[in-house]
Amino acid sequence: MTTNHYVHPEVLVETDWVKQNLGKPGIRLVEVDVDTKAYDAGHIPGAVGLNWQSQLQDQVRRDIVSKHEFERLMSEAGISPGDTVILYGDNNNWFAAYGFWLFKLYGHKDVRLMNGGRVKWLNEADKELTPEKPKTTPTKYQVSEPDLSLRALLPEVLKAQSDKRHNLVDVRSPDEFTGKVIAPPGMTETAQRGGHIPGAKSIPWSTAINQDGTFKSADDLRKIYLSNAGVDPGKDTISYCRIGERSSHTWVVLKYLLGLPNVKNYDGSWTEYGSIVGAPIEK
Amino acid sequence: MDHTTRVYENVFEMMPSEANPTPIVRINRLNPNPEFSLYAKLEWVNPFGSVKDRAAWSLLRDLEERGELGDGRGLVEPTSGNTGISLAALARARGHRMLAIVPNKIPHEKKVLLKIAGAELEVVSDELCPAPGLGDGSINLAKTYAKAQSHKYVMPNQYENEKNVEAHIKTTGPEIWKQTEGRVTHLFTSMGTCGTVTGIGRFLRSKNPNIKIIAVQPTEGHDVPGLRNVSQLEVAKLFEPSLIDDILEIDFNLAYTRALELCQNEGLFAGPSSGLILEGALQIAARDQRGFGVMIFPDNIFKYTSNMTKHIPALEPQETKATI
Repeated sequence: MTTNHYVHPEVLVETDWVKQNLGKPGIRLVEVDVDTKAYDAGHIPGAVGLNWQSQLQDQVRRDIVSKHEFERLMSEAGISPGDTVILYGDNNNWFAAYGFWLFKLYGHKDVRLMNGGRVKWLNEADKELTPEKPKTTPTKYQVSEPDLSLRALLPEVLKAQSDKRHNLVDVRSPDEFTGKVIAPPGMTETAQRGGHIPGAKSIPWSTAINQDGTFKSADDLRKIYLSNAGVDPGKDTISYCRIGERSSHTWVVLKYLLGLPNVKNYDGSWTEYGSIVGAPIEK
Repeated sequence: MDHTTRVYENVFEMMPSEANPTPIVRINRLNPNPEFSLYAKLEWVNPFGSVKDRAAWSLLRDLEERGELGDGRGLVEPTSGNTGISLAALARARGHRMLAIVPNKIPHEKKVLLKIAGAELEVVSDELCPAPGLGDGSINLAKTYAKAQSHKYVMPNQYENEKNVEAHIKTTGPEIWKQTEGRVTHLFTSMGTCGTVTGIGRFLRSKNPNIKIIAVQPTEGHDVPGLRNVSQLEVAKLFEPSLIDDILEIDFNLAYTRALELCQNEGLFAGPSSGLILEGALQIAARDQRGFGVMIFPDNIFKYTSNMTKHIPALEPQETKATI
């Protein structure tokens, strides 16, 4: 477990903690990557791999994975509702954070992120990797209480924009915020227009991390988000990015590390908002 | 082997050395500074077409000597192309397997060449998640293979391996010293792994502490394959800032236009990184007035036709359209 004066330090574990707890009953490791190439090449022993695009999203309509499908995925991965699930992944836990948000949304009680993600584990000499997939015993996972209050949908975002009573946190790169580009180079998911939601504060997701990929201390994060960027802890908050994965990373920071009272992730994000006819946009 | 008649028993005998240097050629029409001679060292004359032959050969021999290869164990290496091509060609000619991990932004020609050279290829997106200090996706994936499947893969790691630097201390540096008869005053080079600048820099400084070492970099957001901007040098553990007198940051578009000028005015079919280096050398020649400069031209233009047409649309051949 991580201290660092976070409001909810229990959502993070360090790589050393993971090493000490490998293979213990009730502790399950899940790697979430943009594609499973990295997982297939090598992962933490015992970890199952999930693909955030093909497994954690609905494959027909644009939506998060359905409750039924989430239950099937968990059952196949041999995960029980009472397990402690440790998520980690590439790109500095972007997709692991998206997975974390989904686990929380579907009511999994004890889910944590491995601080620093797979790159930290990879670069530590005493940490092992294996290409062997774990043998899992299927379970009958059932979602008990989905927590839909963690998710912002478009109507709420439009209302938040017009009421001006929310913190809107745009975590994309400065060039996406200003509308210079609609998406990072090479990305296929895009929008009709560039820019940002009027009133949103630009705080790129990467400002929350250290050189080694771990989260900055609570004091530093408070300074970045509250003092410097002006996020008001007395207001409700919505984080967004382009498709909802980078904003999951910031959602973890705001909700758990800084303990803001009501933080939602807008997974529709710019690819939805930037394509809505008549939606107000600032550049 | 006989370097005068150029008769060799195998390709390995052709690798560069003080006795078998790559040529240096004077820049004539593009250099307006009569008191400042500029010579280009044509690294594409190496057997596999680039300066990376030197590092690849040094890395490979070191692994062989230490018994790290064989019994089903091959190489895995992250590469923007040239190291991979050299390493794959050399490795396959020695009977080893090679897995190259390449960023998706490298030119199509290089990806095909890697496969022609006999490498297995994995293409990764390095641009997806620009973040401070995390290193490249291709480097991390290669490290993953080397760590998780160490019975199958060993990673030479050109970004950290001192043998990369040693290749230039033993070959490129002495070649330049001999070819210029010790008259060299300025060295101009680009930076990727930084093995070239550090190796040649160390050697030349040991011969003459006053030699100026100038590194040339493309501006941020560039697409010049193989090169790194200062902001991207985090992964280059061989970067030795104390050796370098000036780091010039040059508009990356000039890499392409200067390369074209070299092709069309000097008869030197130089690639974009050479174009960038020429621009840097001309700036320093104008500043310092007198000198004897050697520029390392890493590779030639043949791998970059698609990049060239992207940056200089006038190069795109006009297709004849049928009219009705």
